[in-house]
Amino acid sequence: MSTAAPDRPAPARVDELGPRRVDARAPRRVDEHALARFNRLALTRFDGLALHVRRGMGERPGERRFPGHAQPSGVEVEAYSTYTPGDDLRHLDWHAMARLDALLVRRFTAEREVLFHILLDGSASMDAPPKDGKLASARALVTVLAYIALAAGDAARVAVLGGTGPVVTSPVHRQRRSALAIFELLATSSAAGTLQLGAACEDYARRHPEAGAALLVSDLMTDPADVERGVLALQARRFEVHVLHVVGASELDPAGSFTRGVLVDVESGATRPIALDAGIAALYGEVLDRHLSALRAVAERTRCSYSRLVAGTDLGTFVTGELARAGLVRRR
Amino acid sequence: MSLGHPTGLVALAAVAVLVLLYLYDRRRRTIPVGTLFLWQQVPMPPRDRRRFRPDLLFIAQLLLVLALVGAYVRPVLDDAEPPPPGTPLVVVLDVSASMQAMEDDGTRFETARRRALARIADVATGDDVLLVTAGSRARVVLPWTADQASIRAALEAIVPADTPTDLAPALELARGLAADRAGARVVVFTDLPPETSGLAPEVRAHVDYVQLGRTDDNVAIAGITVSTPPFHGPSDTTATVDVRNYARTTREVVLEAHVAGTAWARRTLTLAPRATEHVLLTRPPASGPVVVRIGTDDALAVDDHATAWIGPGSALDLLLVTDSRALADAFAGVAAAIAGSRIEVTSRAQYSATPPAGRRVALFDGFVPATLPLATNALFVAPPEGNDVCPSAGRRRDAVVVDWDDDHPALAGLGALQAIGVAGTSQLGDADWGDPIVLAASAEAAFSLLIAGERNGRRTACLGAELGAGLASSDRLPLLLLTLATLRWLGEPFGPSALVVETGRPTLAGAGPTAPIDGDVEIVGDPAVVTAERAGISRVGPAGAERLVLANLFDDRESDIGRSGAGEWLATVHEDAPPPERGGRPLARWLYGAALVLLGLEWAFWRRQQMPRQQIHGEAR
Repeated sequence: MSTAAPDRPAPARVDELGPRRVDARAPRRVDEHALARFNRLALTRFDGLALHVRRGMGERPGERRFPGHAQPSGVEVEAYSTYTPGDDLRHLDWHAMARLDALLVRRFTAEREVLFHILLDGSASMDAPPKDGKLASARALVTVLAYIALAAGDAARVAVLGGTGPVVTSPVHRQRRSALAIFELLATSSAAGTLQLGAACEDYARRHPEAGAALLVSDLMTDPADVERGVLALQARRFEVHVLHVVGASELDPAGSFTRGVLVDVESGATRPIALDAGIAALYGEVLDRHLSALRAVAERTRCSYSRLVAGTDLGTFVTGELARAGLVRRR
Repeated sequence: MSLGHPTGLVALAAVAVLVLLYLYDRRRRTIPVGTLFLWQQVPMPPRDRRRFRPDLLFIAQLLLVLALVGAYVRPVLDDAEPPPPGTPLVVVLDVSASMQAMEDDGTRFETARRRALARIADVATGDDVLLVTAGSRARVVLPWTADQASIRAALEAIVPADTPTDLAPALELARGLAADRAGARVVVFTDLPPETSGLAPEVRAHVDYVQLGRTDDNVAIAGITVSTPPFHGPSDTTATVDVRNYARTTREVVLEAHVAGTAWARRTLTLAPRATEHVLLTRPPASGPVVVRIGTDDALAVDDHATAWIGPGSALDLLLVTDSRALADAFAGVAAAIAGSRIEVTSRAQYSATPPAGRRVALFDGFVPATLPLATNALFVAPPEGNDVCPSAGRRRDAVVVDWDDDHPALAGLGALQAIGVAGTSQLGDADWGDPIVLAASAEAAFSLLIAGERNGRRTACLGAELGAGLASSDRLPLLLLTLATLRWLGEPFGPSALVVETGRPTLAGAGPTAPIDGDVEIVGDPAVVTAERAGISRVGPAGAERLVLANLFDDRESDIGRSGAGEWLATVHEDAPPPERGGRPLARWLYGAALVLLGLEWAFWRRQQMPRQQIHGEAR
């Protein structure tokens, strides 16, 4: 069941988003530790923000205006059309009829909601190395993005791609108090298994054809061609795509974490001995720069936005700084 | 050879401790990383590629530990020559669709079968072998047996299916069965690389893993979507076919589509490497099963064809029972707007006297008759209180829709139902034959507005809203659309005439016949679940009331057959060996002696290492 909300609830304090919720789809019991972590996000500081998209107009009415899609009713007049039987007489322009002797009907800018599909990479690489905290940062980022979307009157669906089981997909949420349910869903998911990002995005796009915006949150530790394949698959289904790259501190500067040992790929189990001296570190830096440049080039080719979050850094600064510069976040 | 104290083998853990101490001593440690993708592009000095570089001192220490452990377990060299130790073998064969891919020396499955036969030939005479296949489900093809002829016959009889792969359950099954036989080995033959097999490294460590295959030459039909507008015939149907090139070279293919045996379309496509083309087909010549094929000589044929279903469509054919002249006029306007539709209007009194037959759908306005003609599905609008079909608890005014079931087929294609506001409505209660699919709320209460289900073998729906006059006006357009969508669902044939499934994936069969007639489908359970092993068209019966099962392989992992090459990884963890037999000459004291000699050698080696340092220190002083 999907729930329409003709009257949007008044903004609630985070402390009110707990056990007294009435959303039937939300979990019935709230873990105290999860609630404490949720409250630490201080989501109310993001009130007043909205996720900005140019496309991805949904089917349901909402608060977001899409010029160029005139409809018979609304608030903002966008165009006129010739009256045809069945049109609402209240929208006839009597002044135009007096001047032009023609029956013209006002058409209004479409006001729709946007369904944000927030896709979280749930493969084992998101939790490696654990001290980087990529998974925790990615979960927090997904929760914050979902909250911003819900608070702005849009809808959000969260999916955890990869892992060892089937894809975990939430229902479509439309109320800001559902942010806790999303947070708990993410908290129960773990980083495990492998992920073919391109194939996973194609599969998701095939199973969720409704238009919207797709926010892809991943560490992107894969071939950029695979990322491009996933982005193109989402765009082929008329998604507006934003790529959010969560990168760990030790991935940017491995010298701060180790000097000698055996690197173990947590997804494939492959190993590689390493003795990290200044020369090797410099070579790795060049490879990493090429990888990041390739990802940015993919974003430019596919005309999607690309933002990078260093795990463990302040999420508020990232949302109001980097994402705002990328054009994904704006003031309402 | 037998062991007098086999549990003493636990002391072999001392070897691990020794290795750990060695690794710790060399200040080495494992560093988990998300991927080696970047590190593999960093050139390393050759000396750093080896993880483990033991020196002579370590080897001496290792031999000392092994000698002590060997003496502790009291090995006995048997005087009489015992039979060779048994090594039962469990063979797991991947029988998924990608194993049908053609390589230079035959299909991947044929190669796997040859390798399996060779492996079985290495097993000593008298040792048991068990065969397991891994497709979408795991199956034991041959239970434990030592009969080589039976094993060969069973292997020859196996053919790969058209289903996806799920190796993990098959491995679990194989390891569970292998646990019954001491020392049993498990070997897997598949075309999946180990890292994408879905198996955890700790599971792979227990099995011999053999990977096959190389070619990426495959063009596949990756999906097909059929769309028919409501109350329209098959000529307005469209089909979108997704054709994907998995090869890294440009390919040209010819796509042909047939409907019910009649040629529909033919297109020539040029596909860039790893690209997808979406082909739109319009105006089919008929209704019925659609077969789409791509003409290509690629390595995998099973995904070169796909099937779909174009229903016959049905125009609006409605019996309207109402005393409202305005409602009759409104539906007359609707009938005029929908080509081919037919509406017969009758009054309640006339219907009660002589119920007309021959309509698939009837709409009763404010009226629930005592009986319904057979084969007539019914929509009861604004049902009165106290009727037996649509429980009603009085009237409500000024209600709006607040919730609805997006997934119900009666509401397919509808959106923005919250735009529906009704001036007057019946407050519907719970019906044991159906589910509320649209909920409404007034100032006083929330209640069901539309209930849909099956009652006495007929589709039935109850709509609380009063339709009345002005139904076709723009203000009430959403309510008209909801009514027409419900009528469309009621007018569909009872039970689909064709069931479209994906191979290897259990799908609810729904209402209708469920006895397989031909093809490779399995239908079990209550409610019935259908599973197809082969892509193509199958029939389920009974005869005379048949329906088709259209099975397709739409699986990216199976169609993307390109591999970096073959490989073989032997198990690093082995199960317990069979228990030893008693009797013979004990070897413990010899091993203790060897340990003593090794200790002396180690001391000498250590002294030799220390001596240069002492000399250096002495010279320094």
